[in-house]
Amino acid sequence: MGMNNPVPLDSVDDILRPNADANPLLDRGMAITSLDALLNWARTGSMWPMTFGLACCAVEMMQAGASRYDLDRFGVIFRPSPRQSDVMIVAGTLTNKMAPAFRKVYDQMPNPKWVISMGSCANGGGYYHYAYSVTRGCDRVVPVDVYVPGCPPTAEALIYGILQLQAKIRRETTIAR
Amino acid sequence: MSDTAKAIAELFTGRFGDRVRVGASLKGIQTIEVDVDAWLEVCRALRDEEDFCYEQLTDLCGIDYLSYGQSEWDTTGASTDGFSRAVEGLGPGRFDWADRPEAEVVKQRFGIVVHLLSFKHNRRLRVRCFAPDEGMPIVPSLIEIWSSANWYERETFDLFGVVFEGHPDLRRILTDYGFTGHPFRKDFPLIGNVAVRYDSQKKRVVYEPVEIEPRVGVPRVLRNDSRYNTDEFDQAADAAAEEVAAKNTVAGEQENQDG
Repeated sequence: MGMNNPVPLDSVDDILRPNADANPLLDRGMAITSLDALLNWARTGSMWPMTFGLACCAVEMMQAGASRYDLDRFGVIFRPSPRQSDVMIVAGTLTNKMAPAFRKVYDQMPNPKWVISMGSCANGGGYYHYAYSVTRGCDRVVPVDVYVPGCPPTAEALIYGILQLQAKIRRETTIAR
Repeated sequence: MSDTAKAIAELFTGRFGDRVRVGASLKGIQTIEVDVDAWLEVCRALRDEEDFCYEQLTDLCGIDYLSYGQSEWDTTGASTDGFSRAVEGLGPGRFDWADRPEAEVVKQRFGIVVHLLSFKHNRRLRVRCFAPDEGMPIVPSLIEIWSSANWYERETFDLFGVVFEGHPDLRRILTDYGFTGHPFRKDFPLIGNVAVRYDSQKKRVVYEPVEIEPRVGVPRVLRNDSRYNTDEFDQAADAAAEEVAAKNTVAGEQENQDG
């Protein structure tokens, strides 16, 4: 642990560290938690995104994945196949021609799955809102969890969006209703 | 026109006569206009003959001259007075080709422009040709002469609807599958005709008529900001300077009298 696993801001952030000072695993060799918290911990710790770069936003997405920001630290590892992905980051302009293929890729992802819409074009058409060939927002085709604004958003903004999605997933309940 | 440009221009008139009209030479690139009947013959000569030797076709594109020379706003005084608030002129796509306002300027609606490169002479050339019929613009395909014209011609067909006679595979190349219309034509609506949406009942992406209104983007001009008040500031500053100057003169005269 140590510097590789920084102390979370909130106690619910990490089930293995309910309080920053008392680590039950180190103290007693065991931890008691709810199944939902365990599931969410596992899900937020390994959100593997489908590589879906469509335009210049993809360059910022690469930047976020490269050595300076290094998305691997968050357990975010880009996958080339929708079958192995949990998240789809729609990075760029979604055109009408691409929309059916985009939906197909989304359908091929196993549940549970989430979508991050990155940049103005994916959020609502952006610069091309009044164009004949561009879908006015990728939420016309798939349900979107987090919208990252910007044209393109910085790598920091994308990481913030990923962290927001983690926070959203933590609030989900799978077992308890 | 420089001497070299003149010499190059004379090359074309000397060889092709009145089948070719020599236009302007910009940045060392000569423009010539070729009749559509002589299109293939002239192009073949441009590739093969010693004087020309244009081995490579670097670009081929279309032009739509509908609404040529028309603008939606009066832009001549825009930098001093700002843009006008409303659309004044006849914008693109608001009239038919037959009713176009400047019928004299351009005779034909659709043009084809080809850019050629000669390695041998280190020279470039721009060749233009007009399709005779604006309803069904047909131009002979250049594939037999330069095979690189293949996808350029498909693109020009896709976006402008110019048909290239003799093209082996004239399909759309850029627009959506099943797309109708030619989007780079001036009378094609910018917002298009269809929009896509996922239909959860049909479980597929469906096409629907476009639901938003086309928007004319009027440039936004802020008036009465500080830039327009410079006169007042200048006048106040001038008045203050004059006052100071007057005081100084009065004081100076006083001093002289004292001395």
